[in-house]
Amino acid sequence: MTTQVESLDSFRTRARAWLAEAEPPRVPLDLDGRFEVLRQWQKSLFEAGWIGIAWSKEAGGQGLSHMHQLVFVEELVRARAPQPIGLIGLDVVGPSIDLYGSDWQRTELLPRLLSGDDIWCQGFSEPSAGSDLASLRTRAVVDGDDFVVSGQKVWTSWAHMAQWCALLVRTDTSVRKQAGISYLLVDMSSPGITTSPIEQMTGDREFCEVFFDEVRVPRQNLLGSLNEGWSIAMHTLGTERAGATLRRRVECEVALDDAVAQLRQHGANGPEADRRARAAIGRAHVALRVLDAQTRQTTARLIADAGPTPVDSVDKLLLNEIEQVVFSEIAGLLGPLRAVPGSRPHGLQSERWTHEHLYSRAASIYGGTSQIQRNIIAERLLGLPRG
Amino acid sequence: MADSDQNSAQFSAAVDEYLTRAYNGDRRRKLLESGGWEPGFAADLADLGWYALAVPESHGGLGAPLSELGPVFMQFGRHLVVGPLLEDTLLPAMLQRPDDWNSAPAVAASVETGVPLALVDPGVTTDWADDLGSVTLSEQQLTGTVNAVRFARQASLLVVVAEADTGSAVCLVDPTDPGVRIEDLDSADPTTEFARVVLSGVRADGVSPVGPADNELVARIRSWARLLIACELSGVAQRSLEHTVEYLTQREQFDRPIGSFQAIKHIAADMHARSAGLNNLCLASLATADRASVAELDMLAATAKAHAAEAAVRVCEDAIQLHGGMGFTTESEVSWYYKHALALRGWYGDETELRQRIGAALLTSDSTADSDNSARDVVPNEPERQK
Repeated sequence: MTTQVESLDSFRTRARAWLAEAEPPRVPLDLDGRFEVLRQWQKSLFEAGWIGIAWSKEAGGQGLSHMHQLVFVEELVRARAPQPIGLIGLDVVGPSIDLYGSDWQRTELLPRLLSGDDIWCQGFSEPSAGSDLASLRTRAVVDGDDFVVSGQKVWTSWAHMAQWCALLVRTDTSVRKQAGISYLLVDMSSPGITTSPIEQMTGDREFCEVFFDEVRVPRQNLLGSLNEGWSIAMHTLGTERAGATLRRRVECEVALDDAVAQLRQHGANGPEADRRARAAIGRAHVALRVLDAQTRQTTARLIADAGPTPVDSVDKLLLNEIEQVVFSEIAGLLGPLRAVPGSRPHGLQSERWTHEHLYSRAASIYGGTSQIQRNIIAERLLGLPRG
Repeated sequence: MADSDQNSAQFSAAVDEYLTRAYNGDRRRKLLESGGWEPGFAADLADLGWYALAVPESHGGLGAPLSELGPVFMQFGRHLVVGPLLEDTLLPAMLQRPDDWNSAPAVAASVETGVPLALVDPGVTTDWADDLGSVTLSEQQLTGTVNAVRFARQASLLVVVAEADTGSAVCLVDPTDPGVRIEDLDSADPTTEFARVVLSGVRADGVSPVGPADNELVARIRSWARLLIACELSGVAQRSLEHTVEYLTQREQFDRPIGSFQAIKHIAADMHARSAGLNNLCLASLATADRASVAELDMLAATAKAHAAEAAVRVCEDAIQLHGGMGFTTESEVSWYYKHALALRGWYGDETELRQRIGAALLTSDSTADSDNSARDVVPNEPERQK
């Protein structure tokens, strides 16, 4: 049987109309308030059928394509609406559970993940396992029907608020490091878990350190097979990367549009200042057109369902550089007044552009540093010998 | 559209095949060392029909849209082809559009025999306008000097862009007219000859009607020049990268190929990302250029050229660095590519000049900068698909 899938155009029109009516929430600055508002926003999106767009209907999703999902993200960003709070669950953990999970895991965990009742965090990185993620040391030992987990994770977004954690643990130390890792689904209310927020240079505190002290995790919470964790994590991280690049691209476009609107509204500032503004906006615009052209190829790969490729590393490297160009050019127009958060030099909101500029420095670090991407490009695309 | 893509790919593959066979090694080196002009080579290309690609069928051409010149110019860049390719492929196509212009016999002759056209345009730059000169049209008389014109000495026809009271005008001038003086100049671009053109009261018989339509023609000629030069620079960057990767796998130091050193790999990876980004930007720009309004074409061509000017020069500089001392000699190919890239960088605007132009359009034009998002959707429109 063939079913007619809603066209992307019609889907976009429907999304735009809904978002125009929906009044996206204003996001408070304090962490608890932010979390609650964004969780409520996810619930509203879920009830209106905008969550899990590319998920299968059996898993509770809308049964549409990745392209529909991207169109919605695009419209969400353009409506200046926030992303749902449970992105890690929706983009990374959920698809892994759907693909590798047991019936119990799928029926028990996915509905609440979609609705925002359960927020998931991702326990991958460790203090000594960043770019070299496979060297992670948090251990899980089988004891009866449980794993017993001890160790430390870091850069775990929203861990202090999350109900569940997707945790990579070492279950075999006698084999190649990638071959001894398992993927556990951990209830964050389990005894022995403590979290501690890390303050970032932007002033945000959603990242955490998470400590596991002999935490008991039932065996039925193992995702996939024992010691299969690395390939599960790599598969879903790779799939998510293309979508994340596209989302961030739209966010940068909207940011530049906002900066241009602020500058236009303010009007002329004298020849020297105007010359600087034109140069900065011109450079940022050119950079974003490059990213747009580059990500058209990404979209084509997504449509073809080509799976992760080393070309994703070119996208990511360009995204990192371009994001940093865009925000350093805009923030550069604040001049000495960037140090005065309430100021409006040339009409630009000082605190917003300072925050975005600082955040852009993380772009070349998270999701695989630019240095890791360059290694991948040199070795896998250009065929240069391994060192 | 698919047919057109296919034709375009076939044509540029044929260009690549011919140049690989007939324009390599000694022949190319001889041409590069002797100033970039050989009548026999230009006649060969005319015989192959290369100048007729975008000329309307009603004028004996192949009738391809101008955008199909883009992939061909990428090949010209890759092979570092000498001669007035820009003038000889673009001007006949633009001047012989049935509605625009009565074709001149010299234009048709140029397409058939390869005797060049020269574009006498003081508008190749704004930041050096005083240094480059100017031409005015008054009472049907052309007066002025342009201090750098490509291939003016060899041309059978001068296509002069002049300023008149009511706007720009395009005039056809016979270079043997007694009021025309052409002075040879040295050239630092191995592919191009330059001359100074002095017009003293030349009667311009072929003067087109002055007015908005002609302003539009001038704007389109300049935009297409920008876009095709961007494509040529993309080819220059791509070939410089290919040469470099080849060298990195062959050259050994410390008993290893130098391409195995991470410091080298990261530069090569950046070269690849820049080259790929530029290539994708050119392709995306070409995809919409044929149907673009004058203002849209101006913007997308300025954007492509601004990026090409910066990215291709950077790639060439990295290519020279990674070739070590060899890169600094005329023995190495990459030094020739670099000199050509430097010459093209400023022709019709370098990145500094064009960012000002783009920034000004975004910040001061009447149309709002973000009115039309549909041109920038991640997901292109597509027909409904069955699942």
